[in-house]
Amino acid sequence: MHKYRRTIMWLGLLLIIVLTVLSIYGAFIGAERAEHFFNQPPLAVFWMALATLLIVGIAAFRRLVRIPGLLLMHAGCVLILAGGMWGSHAGHNLQKKLFRIDKIHSGRMAIYEGSSDNRVALDGTREQKELPFSLKLKDFRIEYYQPVYLRIQTHQGRQWKIPVEVGKEFPLGDEAGTIKIVKAYENFKVGMEEGKSAPFDDPSPGSNPALEVQITEPNGQAATQYVFERFPGHSHNQGKFSLSYHRVISDYISELQIVEGDKIVAEKDIEVNHPLRFGGYHFYQSSYDDKAGQYTVLQVVSDTGLYVVYAGYWMLCIGVIWHLWLRHIFKRIQSKYK
Amino acid sequence: MEIKYTIQGLLIYMTIAAYLLAFVTTLLRRPKSGHFLYLLGFAIAVCSFGYRWYHVRHVPLQNLFEVFLCLGMIYPVSLFCRRVLRVGSDAADMLIGAIVLFPAGFIFHADPQQLPPALQSWLFIPHVAAYMFSYIFMLMATFQAFCQLAGINPKPGENLLSPEESTYRIICMGFPLLTLGLILGSYWGKLAWGDYWGWDPKELWSLASWLVFLGYLHFRYMFGKKHPRINSLWAIAGMAVIIITLLWVNLSRIFSGLHSYAT
Ligand code: HEM
Repeated sequence: MHKYRRTIMWLGLLLIIVLTVLSIYGAFIGAERAEHFFNQPPLAVFWMALATLLIVGIAAFRRLVRIPGLLLMHAGCVLILAGGMWGSHAGHNLQKKLFRIDKIHSGRMAIYEGSSDNRVALDGTREQKELPFSLKLKDFRIEYYQPVYLRIQTHQGRQWKIPVEVGKEFPLGDEAGTIKIVKAYENFKVGMEEGKSAPFDDPSPGSNPALEVQITEPNGQAATQYVFERFPGHSHNQGKFSLSYHRVISDYISELQIVEGDKIVAEKDIEVNHPLRFGGYHFYQSSYDDKAGQYTVLQVVSDTGLYVVYAGYWMLCIGVIWHLWLRHIFKRIQSKYK
Repeated sequence: MEIKYTIQGLLIYMTIAAYLLAFVTTLLRRPKSGHFLYLLGFAIAVCSFGYRWYHVRHVPLQNLFEVFLCLGMIYPVSLFCRRVLRVGSDAADMLIGAIVLFPAGFIFHADPQQLPPALQSWLFIPHVAAYMFSYIFMLMATFQAFCQLAGINPKPGENLLSPEESTYRIICMGFPLLTLGLILGSYWGKLAWGDYWGWDPKELWSLASWLVFLGYLHFRYMFGKKHPRINSLWAIAGMAVIIITLLWVNLSRIFSGLHSYAT
């Protein structure tokens, strides 16, 4: 190997080792500090050096160009680094200075049901910025795994798990009697009816899921109990059973519309793992109003540089698989039929 | 740590026992009986996977318990390494089979899980499966690296590669899977959390393990077989970082991060 090629190779190895050490260091300090650390100016120099060295390597080693797998891998890495830097916070600031592209890097927006908004609270600052279009939230809902279960336990440790089906009676054996779910409430409240307190399902905003349960003892004596999802253990039981009601969330869904002027230009129900892409941004289900379910919180992320990174991912994957697997398989097949 | 007093648990423990017995028998120079026990273990592992499939009524690759259960059927991978790659170490493969079933038997819960929203993605299975398969290959490579350091060579009649060459060949097999796991994970992170790279400890450890093997490949390109011991140490270091990635971050809860639900 030529001396200068050997130097490039050594430098490459050195940078790989340095990045390994930095990654391990980053793993010790936690995600938030690591993100800050890897985005600092000295690290930007490191990223630039790595990308430059890869390019120099491709120029210096003819094999890195001639062998397609090697070219794809190394060029793929250059794209990943370039796309990552271009899409970073610093990359966005640079684009603002150089090309006056003033894009939001990342932030969050809260939208109330039925209303539309275009204000984004920027991550890491107290600033707000506006998008050139608005998002309207038609509806926000939470879905639960079905069936939902009521759990019953006696003090002796016997347990039952019955699906919540209103009106259906379940036998609990000869000693315990039967149990029936009389009503399921989304927003349990107690009001006055003819001078007596009576529970009702309040349609106004709020959330207090509960079940009305009737337990009939073997001797025919029936008693009503209420079980609250948010207040476990807070059920008026007569001492024989403890009941619990807990639903497992399967999804959070925001039904969104994109509004430009007064025209709806796009529409999508976003959920976890299914973001909305529009106008150079990706919108993610991030959080919600856990008290009343009235608003959703979306994460807004710029897609600048993203597709360059994805192209790099494809090249790296295809390159590695071609160079280390397929090439050999094809060679084997060829030599078999020669 | 939990012991499973169920048919599923019994099947897993029987497989582990068969693999361990096969391992000991092979070490005692009874390769035929060892191989028979290994096959027996494999048959029980297949039954165990089939039983799970019947029990949950979907392909059982939804959670880590099921993925490890699947990995317990390691026999075809060993066969592949021996026949195609000409790399062999039956005894070690048997031990690896028992090791990968250990988490399914004693660590992960077998209750059919309801997945939290972030885990409901088509990427879950390929991401985890790519990683698990790459880890198995890297474990096999590490074993070969230890053989190289200890000077254990295959018998002349066996038509197998030397431990140094075996290490390299298996790493070449596992590295694309490691790359695929990392990239699929990153793409999934983008869909679920909005970022393809979150600087989360688990991500950084997995990047570090990928980088160690990348370093190995470049080092071996530079020096070939000139420094076989350093090559081996490099492979062992990679495995050490993988073990930290897989276990330390999940189980110790020293670092709390986005991936902590994966326990
Ligand atoms: C930082 C500067 C880098 C330089 C100067 C460099 C240079 C090289 C060279 C000269 C080879 C040997 C090609 C041959 O077989 O003739 C090679 C192989 C390879 N490089 Fe890099 N590389 C660098 C970074 C990377 C990165 C970031 C990756 C990530 C994918 C990578 C992946 C590989 C792989 C997988 C091989 C194949 C090894 C083998 O066939 O054993 N390299 N590199």
